[in-house]
Amino acid sequence: MYLLELLLVGLVWGCTYAMMALGLTLVYGLLRILHVAQATVFTLGAYVGLLVANHTGSLALAFPAAALSAAALGPLIYRLVYQPMLDKPPYVALVASIGLLIAMEDGFRLLFGPYGLSFTRNTWFTTTYSWAGLSLNVVQISMVIAAVGLLSAFAWFATRTRAGVAWRATVSDPAMAESFGVGVSGVRYQSFFIASALAGVAGVLVGLLNNLVEPGMGAMIGYKGLAIIVLGGLGNVPGTLVASLLLGVIESFGTVYLDKLLDRDAIAFLVLIVILMIRPQGLLGKAH
Amino acid sequence: MKFHHIASVLLAAALAATSAAPVLAQSIRIGFHAPLTGFAASDGKSAVQGAELAVEQINAAGGVNGRKIELVVQDDQARPDQALPLANKYIGDGLKIVVSGSYSGPTRAAAGVFHQAKVPYISAYAIHPDITRAGNFVFRTSFMGEVQGKAAAKLIGEILKKRKVTLLTLNNDFGQALTAGFKEVAGRFGISIASEYTFGMGDRQFGSIVASVKKDDPEILYVSGYFFNGGPLVAQLRAAGVTAPIVGTEGFDTHNFITVAKDAAEGVMITTSLDRDSKAVPMRKFITDYETKWKAPADMVAASTHTAIYVAAEGLRRGGADDGTKIRAAIAGIKDFEVATGKIGFNELGEIYKAAQVQVIKGGQFRFFATIDDPVLLAPPTK
Repeated sequence: MYLLELLLVGLVWGCTYAMMALGLTLVYGLLRILHVAQATVFTLGAYVGLLVANHTGSLALAFPAAALSAAALGPLIYRLVYQPMLDKPPYVALVASIGLLIAMEDGFRLLFGPYGLSFTRNTWFTTTYSWAGLSLNVVQISMVIAAVGLLSAFAWFATRTRAGVAWRATVSDPAMAESFGVGVSGVRYQSFFIASALAGVAGVLVGLLNNLVEPGMGAMIGYKGLAIIVLGGLGNVPGTLVASLLLGVIESFGTVYLDKLLDRDAIAFLVLIVILMIRPQGLLGKAH
Repeated sequence: MKFHHIASVLLAAALAATSAAPVLAQSIRIGFHAPLTGFAASDGKSAVQGAELAVEQINAAGGVNGRKIELVVQDDQARPDQALPLANKYIGDGLKIVVSGSYSGPTRAAAGVFHQAKVPYISAYAIHPDITRAGNFVFRTSFMGEVQGKAAAKLIGEILKKRKVTLLTLNNDFGQALTAGFKEVAGRFGISIASEYTFGMGDRQFGSIVASVKKDDPEILYVSGYFFNGGPLVAQLRAAGVTAPIVGTEGFDTHNFITVAKDAAEGVMITTSLDRDSKAVPMRKFITDYETKWKAPADMVAASTHTAIYVAAEGLRRGGADDGTKIRAAIAGIKDFEVATGKIGFNELGEIYKAAQVQVIKGGQFRFFATIDDPVLLAPPTK
């Protein structure tokens, strides 16, 4: 039962990572940019969600607010930061992205103060459901529902809609897609929009789980997101999902069984190194 | 181009501001560094507020030997690599006394530099044992981590009479020092350690630790960490139905802990150096003046930097403002000095003894629970 509970905890963490990493892998697939600054979008979503929830008293309203604000910031970052650098080598955008993340961390601190903010009435966190000794609170359940729901919606979009086909065509060959009349620029904005909305929702959920929204909350999950998309095979969506869940579960067990040796983040990055030594193309990536 | 223009204007303004400084030379400058940005910026804010309040109170009472004092504040980001340039800057600028309002990393890195330069250096709340060992120009006005850990063992074993404890330890020098002190004397108080888990500074989600605590079913938990990881940890323990009492540390000693953990904070006890219900005049005055000035409840960090600035000012009062060696001797000679965190005096290593305060959270406020006044158990090291 204890092991099952650890597994469950790990899967919930994995769902958080999946919501972050899917966006990162989308952006990488399209632009070959490692979008570390997505963590900024995640943090913004958390702050906006918290402010809306605390002002209106409705936790449910926090989600659309977070998704919309995040979905506004992501494309803006693309337009102002990445687009002018598209003809430069990818590491230029990566450096800019890391710089933006660090600068925005202090930006959030200046705007909202260094102490972080808490939800005034976080009823989702305190409402717990138990079955046979396993317990989950409403935030954790929502995390799983949001991840499964939003990722399924994305899968449907990518495979069943015209826009999805255009998106996939742009990923595999932008020049060819453009010659068939696909608006490549529109597809890029769409990707940032979707990626950022997901990150914003993840931000509120993590804020609710911690009952704390703070300036630096995005950094580690941002870097881990990068680790996950590398692990999943860069740009590979199913691989990213598998890697997210795997990392969540490894961390859950690792924080209990390896905690005297390594902390949770060190465990995550160690796993990344070991797997990449064995499978440099990632878990589900194809060898070149 | 426009950007360069703005930058050069700013630079010129900054230079003008620096060169204007000698006009204020009448006041005595006290160096003060704290993490104003980065992960520890929340403690940095309290640290600066506590120190600024002390300066205001001292100046309002006539200053030091007729001269005003002023803080020269620098940001160390709680990073050791920031501490060296910052220490050298203070020394180069001719400051004769510096206070650390920061964590052990930067404080430890700077301590040796100040000792070499014969500039007295006071650590307000950093807990690493090696800080004062850097040399006799270095002092500390708070508990060492080990000492506070011992106080917690006495609280759990002797006052609360609990035997089976689970330790949840933050894996930095703060958490490890607390746990080391706790374990050193746990046997003496009949405590057995049922299990121990560690977590990192950045951790906010503790599902697997919570599941493990439920499995181990201890009588009581001893938790280190700061409000930003301890708050979520306590909330998650309680939400999962863990009802065992929780003993925390001075890392929880801020109202932010209660804001984050909410109802889960009720009943949590901490060992600290700030007693909100104290009748002692300096402590009362600190608490009320702090709340009036900053519109926020006082916390341990602010009380500690407030104390350290008072000690620095006392050193300047007794030793004069010009000679680091005389100021050092003056601070070393301080005995029974009443400050916001109690009555203090230094031993030969530059450490203080003071009784540990146990506070309990009741009705969303820190309240007096007990005082652990045990000069033998809580004696700081002398070398």
